[in-house]
Amino acid sequence: MRVAVVGKGGSGKTTTSAIVARTLARHGASVVALDCDSNPNLGLSLGVGDFETERLESMRESLDAGGEEHAPGWDDLIERFGSDAPDGVRLAVVSRIDNPSPG
Amino acid sequence: MRVAFVGKGGVGKSAIAGTFCRALARQGHPVLAIDSDPLPGLAFSLGLAISDAPLPDEAVEEKAEGEEGPRFRLRAGLTAADAIDEYAATAPDGVRFLQFGKHRSSTGRALFRSQWAFRQIIRELPEDRWNIVGDLPGGTRQPFTGWGDYARLVLIVVEPTAKSLLTARRLSRLATDEEHPRRIVAVANKVREDGDVEMVAQRTGLEVVGAVPWDEEFAAAEQKLAAPIDLAPDSPAVQAVESLVEQLSEERIA
Repeated sequence: MRVAVVGKGGSGKTTTSAIVARTLARHGASVVALDCDSNPNLGLSLGVGDFETERLESMRESLDAGGEEHAPGWDDLIERFGSDAPDGVRLAVVSRIDNPSPG
Repeated sequence: MRVAFVGKGGVGKSAIAGTFCRALARQGHPVLAIDSDPLPGLAFSLGLAISDAPLPDEAVEEKAEGEEGPRFRLRAGLTAADAIDEYAATAPDGVRFLQFGKHRSSTGRALFRSQWAFRQIIRELPEDRWNIVGDLPGGTRQPFTGWGDYARLVLIVVEPTAKSLLTARRLSRLATDEEHPRRIVAVANKVREDGDVEMVAQRTGLEVVGAVPWDEEFAAAEQKLAAPIDLAPDSPAVQAVESLVEQLSEERIA
């Protein structure tokens, strides 16, 4: 299945996503948790901690910096830039705002 | 003063900003409240029962052939200050209110006439006429990509949760800009326990200039789309925002 969780800020999107992801994983599903927020906090709710949540670079930035001619496949991206969360969930961050210049 | 309220979505920016505007205006100071969130909510916290308040078409015109700048601007001869006097809504206690306006396209990319003019007004407003209090979009994507440039004081609203604290640290970094020197401080919200304020200070590295307690009445006002200062004037949270106005009194324009 492919699920997107949306809603107003502060309504519980991240918390809900993390619980759904870990619950699915506990039932044996293979789960990729994608943090598509420009202010990515999903790592905190999944339980990877403050440090790892901040350390995780966004896939978009990593690709921009790498200057690759062809984008790798999604599984390759998640393997290279993702992080392991509890219950076997694989977490990846899609984009993050790291500087204030408009773009 | 030129203030911008920022913070993670749902931390209480609009409720605090609206109450802050009203409390400042009650002391007799001229206040311009600006809502630059494309999901606007400040009007209700000010006590204005409107959800969308674009500038009227007559205030905005397409730029002339060969003219520099964006496609739409204030009509010729209309200054930013005039535009506020003529077209900004008036909230209780005399607070003037200007709104960026809702997203009107599904891609969120197209700015409409009134939205171009909004950006122009914020850029060109005189320094000494109003205390400008802005409620900026939640999260880290928008506040410092032009929206917060007017601000000399950035108030990061933080609740004592890991996500809000992480967001505050990111915002503090993003707000630091040599081209736009500004004071960056925290306001703790939804404070429930001893130690919450200290934790906000420690984990953001910021001076905490206000501490707003968790308050059922304050939250209830938001649910009813009403201004906390009208619905719960004596509540501890409203009193805390009034203290914040006092705390920042040296920044005021009389």
